[in-house]
Amino acid sequence: MRVRKIVTIVEEIRSEGGREVFPTARVAVVAAVIPNPWAGQGFVEDLQPGIDAHASDLGALLAPQVMAALDAPAEAYGKAAIVGLSGEVEHGSALIHTLKFGDHFRKAANATTLLPAVEKRGPAGVVFDVPLKHVTDATIRSHHQTVEVRIADAPHPDEIVVALAAAAQGRPQQRLASLSTEQ
Amino acid sequence: MTGSPSTPTGRTCESDGRMSTVTAAGVRKVTLYREAVLSEAGSEPAERVDRAAVAAVLPNPWLGTGPATDLSGRAATIAPLLAKLLTDRLIEALGGADRIEAFGKAALVGTAGELEHAGALIHTPYFGNLVREFLDGESIICFADARAEAGEALIVPMWHKTHAATRSHYQTIAARVSDAPRADEVVVIAAASTGPRPHARIGDRTTDPVVTADNLESSLT
Repeated sequence: MRVRKIVTIVEEIRSEGGREVFPTARVAVVAAVIPNPWAGQGFVEDLQPGIDAHASDLGALLAPQVMAALDAPAEAYGKAAIVGLSGEVEHGSALIHTLKFGDHFRKAANATTLLPAVEKRGPAGVVFDVPLKHVTDATIRSHHQTVEVRIADAPHPDEIVVALAAAAQGRPQQRLASLSTEQ
Repeated sequence: MTGSPSTPTGRTCESDGRMSTVTAAGVRKVTLYREAVLSEAGSEPAERVDRAAVAAVLPNPWLGTGPATDLSGRAATIAPLLAKLLTDRLIEALGGADRIEAFGKAALVGTAGELEHAGALIHTPYFGNLVREFLDGESIICFADARAEAGEALIVPMWHKTHAATRSHYQTIAARVSDAPRADEVVVIAAASTGPRPHARIGDRTTDPVVTADNLESSLT
């Protein structure tokens, strides 16, 4: 697979609500812009051969890069597949909703939970929010968060943007009661 | 598949007890956007080039002041801190000042401020000279600025850091912070690239024919 572009985004949040965030909150995203493996083929009934051909390679490409960009242990994580306008959302889902893809990130992040995800179709420059949840307990409310991404010239109609996101902590100034207090 | 990771971004160290750059300028957020084009028009560029834009979000120091206000004092205090912060991040993200070949700068001011406030933070020697020095450049630094709502994307121009007329290095990067600038904030941006455009092939001054309106007369009429 010919990756057209690799994008890395790192956010450092130093204050929120007028108060200092210490230590600085860090969130990282790494995205690969790739050709849609099913482009130009009409309705493909069986997506499995394409999944087998690409999903693991994509996970192996992105997982170490997002951990390097975060430069800290990941406490929350998420993933994204944004399909260009000529493709199906199912094409993006096919590449990220498989253990072949996610297990690379789970291993790199010492994680155990399923990865929350965004899947959508849009034009180049579409803004998308990647949801993140805690890496070992998806009910930990402090770590529910999102990070916003935009790549100015992707995805082209026959491309897919596949991304991983990691946060070194929960939300800045998180102060909600835990789920258990309502049970 | 290719695309090895570059160095991670740095973080501000406060363990030595000094007030950090970020704190002193009131920066609430720093975002790095970096991209590497591995394939363009179906083929790999001759060299891997990384481009990055780093944005710092800070309160507009001149909020509520009028056009008679002298901007020089706070510009001289704040702009050097931003120059250091942004170039530190660029150098780390792109693997060293010696790898950087092109640079640019930009500022976005929120809707409660003046464009002049954005200019005050990037157009004086307190920012530009220091960015040039930290990135080992010689050229004047090209720029963009705008007044905008939060989330507006700004296209930041870059050109060669020592030979600004090098045509292969005319390039841009889109910078955007999802929730900034708020009306009372400023976003200050520095951008850099480690090489030329992918597949740059539009000649240069040394290869250009002499082009004037006179000798193009036949095609202009």
